[in-house]
Amino acid sequence: MLSYITRRLLQGALVIFLISLITFAVMRLMPGDPVYMLLGEGEIRISQEQIEAIKAKWGLDRPYYEQYLVWAWNLLRGDFGDSLIRTGVPVREMIFEAIPVTAIINVIALFISLAVAIPAGIWAGVKRNSAFDYASAVGSTLGVSLPNFWLGLMLIVLFVLYIPQWFGDIPLIGKIPPFGLRSWQGYILPVLVLTTEQLAVVTRVMRAATIEALGQDYVRTAYAKGLAKYVVITRHAVRNALLPVVTVIGFRIAFILSGTIVVETVFAIPGIGRLFTDSVFRLDYQVVQSLVVVLAVLVVLVNLLTDLTYAIIDPRIRIE
Amino acid sequence: MSVASADQLPPKATSQPGGRSELLQAWQRFRANRMSLVGLTLIILLVLIAIFAPLIAPYDPITDIFRGVRGVGPSWDHPFGYDHLGRDLLSRVIFGSRVALLVGLVATGISVLVGIVIGAVAGYFGGWVDTLLSRLIDTLMAFPIIALLVVLAAVLGPSLVTTIVVIGFTGWARFARVVRAEVMSLKQQDFITAAKAVGVRDWRIIWRHLLPNVMGPVIVLASLGIGGIIILESALSFLGLGIRPPNPSWGGTLADGRAFILRYPHIAFFPGLMIVITVLAFNFLGDGLRDAFDPRNRD
Amino acid sequence: MTWMGHQEVSGLGPDNVGPTVEWVMVINIHNPLVAIDEFNEVEMVLAKSVDVSDDGLTYTFQLNEGVKFHDGTEFTAEDVVYTYDFYRNPENGASIAGEFTGVGSVEAPDKYTVVVNMESVNAASLTGWAGTAIVQSKYHAEVGEETYRTAPIGTGPYKLKEWRPAEFTELEAFDDHFRGRPNIDVLRQDVVPEPSVRMIALQSGEADSAVWPLLVEDSVFLESDPGFVVYRTLANSIKHLPLNLRTPALSDKMVRKAMMHALDRQRIIDDLWNGAAQISHSNLSPASPYYNADLPQYEYDPAKANAMLDDAGWLAGADGTREKDGVKLTFTCTTITGDQARRPIAELAQQMFAEVGIDMQLEEAPVASILQSLREGTMDCSLFNWTYGTAIEPDPFSTLHSTGGNNFSGINNPRLDELIETGLQVVDPAKRMPIYHEIQEIFVDEVVALNLQFDEWINVFNTRIKGLPENPKTGDPIYQQAYKWWIDES
Repeated sequence: MLSYITRRLLQGALVIFLISLITFAVMRLMPGDPVYMLLGEGEIRISQEQIEAIKAKWGLDRPYYEQYLVWAWNLLRGDFGDSLIRTGVPVREMIFEAIPVTAIINVIALFISLAVAIPAGIWAGVKRNSAFDYASAVGSTLGVSLPNFWLGLMLIVLFVLYIPQWFGDIPLIGKIPPFGLRSWQGYILPVLVLTTEQLAVVTRVMRAATIEALGQDYVRTAYAKGLAKYVVITRHAVRNALLPVVTVIGFRIAFILSGTIVVETVFAIPGIGRLFTDSVFRLDYQVVQSLVVVLAVLVVLVNLLTDLTYAIIDPRIRIE
Repeated sequence: MSVASADQLPPKATSQPGGRSELLQAWQRFRANRMSLVGLTLIILLVLIAIFAPLIAPYDPITDIFRGVRGVGPSWDHPFGYDHLGRDLLSRVIFGSRVALLVGLVATGISVLVGIVIGAVAGYFGGWVDTLLSRLIDTLMAFPIIALLVVLAAVLGPSLVTTIVVIGFTGWARFARVVRAEVMSLKQQDFITAAKAVGVRDWRIIWRHLLPNVMGPVIVLASLGIGGIIILESALSFLGLGIRPPNPSWGGTLADGRAFILRYPHIAFFPGLMIVITVLAFNFLGDGLRDAFDPRNRD
Repeated sequence: MTWMGHQEVSGLGPDNVGPTVEWVMVINIHNPLVAIDEFNEVEMVLAKSVDVSDDGLTYTFQLNEGVKFHDGTEFTAEDVVYTYDFYRNPENGASIAGEFTGVGSVEAPDKYTVVVNMESVNAASLTGWAGTAIVQSKYHAEVGEETYRTAPIGTGPYKLKEWRPAEFTELEAFDDHFRGRPNIDVLRQDVVPEPSVRMIALQSGEADSAVWPLLVEDSVFLESDPGFVVYRTLANSIKHLPLNLRTPALSDKMVRKAMMHALDRQRIIDDLWNGAAQISHSNLSPASPYYNADLPQYEYDPAKANAMLDDAGWLAGADGTREKDGVKLTFTCTTITGDQARRPIAELAQQMFAEVGIDMQLEEAPVASILQSLREGTMDCSLFNWTYGTAIEPDPFSTLHSTGGNNFSGINNPRLDELIETGLQVVDPAKRMPIYHEIQEIFVDEVVALNLQFDEWINVFNTRIKGLPENPKTGDPIYQQAYKWWIDES
């Protein structure tokens, strides 16, 4: 077990090294120069010498391999460097300020979707081909088919503009702000958008897994032994059906960035998605590189945890 | 935004290479599923619209720019209204179906092809080949794809070809992973061991015996993945890295309309609706195919 | 009071004044010696008076006495000397260093007097370096520029309360501000990237103003809403398609002239900008006293454009695109990623050019990439707003001089260089006039860029904000007067 974990961690380290290399190269391939981002549009005069001075100050005039080694070495020591654009602010601070913001909305969304989707998926799987099954199938397929940013914008228009215009304040909630997370109402729309997609995914997984579990021999045996249906379902079927759900959760955590970029842009939420896109477009090398590596570490760890969880839930899976 | 997830991994098909009756049975199971028939019908309809776009579209989607009607809403003559330049939105949406289908199908095709080759090689040969390719798969799966897409598109210059190639060559990891797992479990089975024993060459085993067996899961995964790719195309356009204007694409039009969502909500609404319908259709089809190919789902 | 910006505030030091969203915060935390107010007038702030010697080589500032920094220390001439010396020193790599062109030395003969000695005349002095925000020198020297940007100490009416770059910047009233404590207790700038969401926030009362404009349609809509005060001011910057004159297809002056005739600029303004702009006929806006009203104008005339191209030997090829000597008349216009407000203009221009056989391809790229590629001469064309001389200072050195830092076109015209250099060394406006008139003539004749329009910059305020100016001439400087405003809660 321990050697398994060690081996996985070593493989993970290799993956992270590759990712750091790719990210570094790819950021340098992007045409453009971060120096210009400091200048804004229009009014400032600047000469070539002054630009060289700014570059020298940030080490952007040194050869690429040197830049990479300096960055990688500092990273290993836990020093993420300073942001090029947001000068004076350590990248570590920027990243660790943004992570909780993203984590909170995602965790809330995940909990809500699990709380609804697990029972819904089981019910749909048990009552196969019932009206509920069809409704949840259509609903969840629709859920995964909705583009995130489209849904987000439509929800803002609906809940912030039209509904207050037509009906006034929403009972119990009051006013929903169009952006930001200053009040608890601010969480409603972003969480709703994230929940919609996850709800759909988990319901589908849960339904499929339940059907599969119910078809297994040992469940049939359990029935044959005369166990009550709900006992069979909860004790055997659900337990096994949870496996793919674990995968989905791991998957969501791993893809937290792709999932929230758009939502954070639309709702002006200062999480890692916004930090990432802003930094890419402003060529803030340090931030992009470090953020990608931090997320890659997260993915590797989550993958490992997912596999270990598998082993705990399902004794049939053996880790060697 | 990504539709890919574990539920799309189809159950393992462990049967011998299927014959004609097997396919017939699958078709019968598929036909029994009402939603997948709806999906198939919609897709056929979309393909027809895309092929006959110049005949169906009432106006030219690029050169017919009407004056002083920017963002004017739907009317009888212009059922979808005008876009942000004053072009007929319906015509642009009709022509946009070409891009959506082209990107969806070709990019998925590339992903599937690359995924099958790499997955099969890794799964069949095992050892250091597998270790190397698996790490490559891991790396790609752990990489925020959108970051890679943004930068690659920026470096190569945005165009239809770039979009397809970039999406295609970054999306193969999921297929490779499934194929690898399938191949690994298949190669333990008797008929493969037997083939090896009588001296059939590796490539022939892969080509004749393993690939036909993994096609089922791959087709299902692919049809479910097309929707995600169509959404990805719109996300790329949203980031300014998709199809170049003036050529109409749903993602591009949706991104155009995003700025005008309050004033002219119809500009974002209609292409968004078409994306939803198309993705829905492919997902229904994929579900139907999965049920049809999965022996354990037989009623 | 809350106002909204469109992008993050990356720092709060005197050097963070490029992006509007940063300037409006910096200028409320700090004060400069003199400022240009919203009526384009020079306003004394920390300086009581300024005396410019006749030869334009000595500036003597008398400072206000008893001005306090946020930390309670007194503001003196030493702070000015420190600030100017720090930001003009090339070793410190400040982006505003170029503003100090010509400055030789800065001295403080006594506690309340600052003398700036120029090595060469810089007619743009009072609108340039004299507008630099003054820092508390001891504190800045102690913590350094980088830390200072995150925790500034100025003399401004507001002091920093909380700064979350990507989310908001919150300032609170400074009790001991030398012009009196401001009425509004808290100034807050929220970062809201989506223009539509900024509009909703204004309508729902979530915010009182937008520092970065809304969509033109939304702004125009709010003009008829009694709940909002809307200012239309003419921008200094030209909305234009900067051209790279080194690109083979664009190096022919006749082609560029034909392109100007092919553009229906009034249609662009009417159809895509809700009429909230004026056609640009020069590099200077009509608001400038140096504006040359007698310049030739490029009217919309595609037939003339076609004829000009035919005459110049550019003939239509098989695909409808013109070509001459094996060079196709095709180029790429790269617009700013996600710039949904301006890109439609490029799309319409594309069709207008297509009608006269010119092929313009469209691409998108981040601002940083575009600016660098233009400067290096590796990009054909783009679309954005840029200043080629303002209403108060007509100097276009950085954009039109052959060695200018923002010479996107790559123009190298000895006469133009000579005029620009002379213009900067003449102080008397009457003597400067003919120089800048000729610069404009060359700009128009050479078609250095495809100049489209001067936008009307639209700033919107909720009517509950009182004390706002009447008929301001420029938009951004309105926000440096926030200390005069109050909130009417009724």
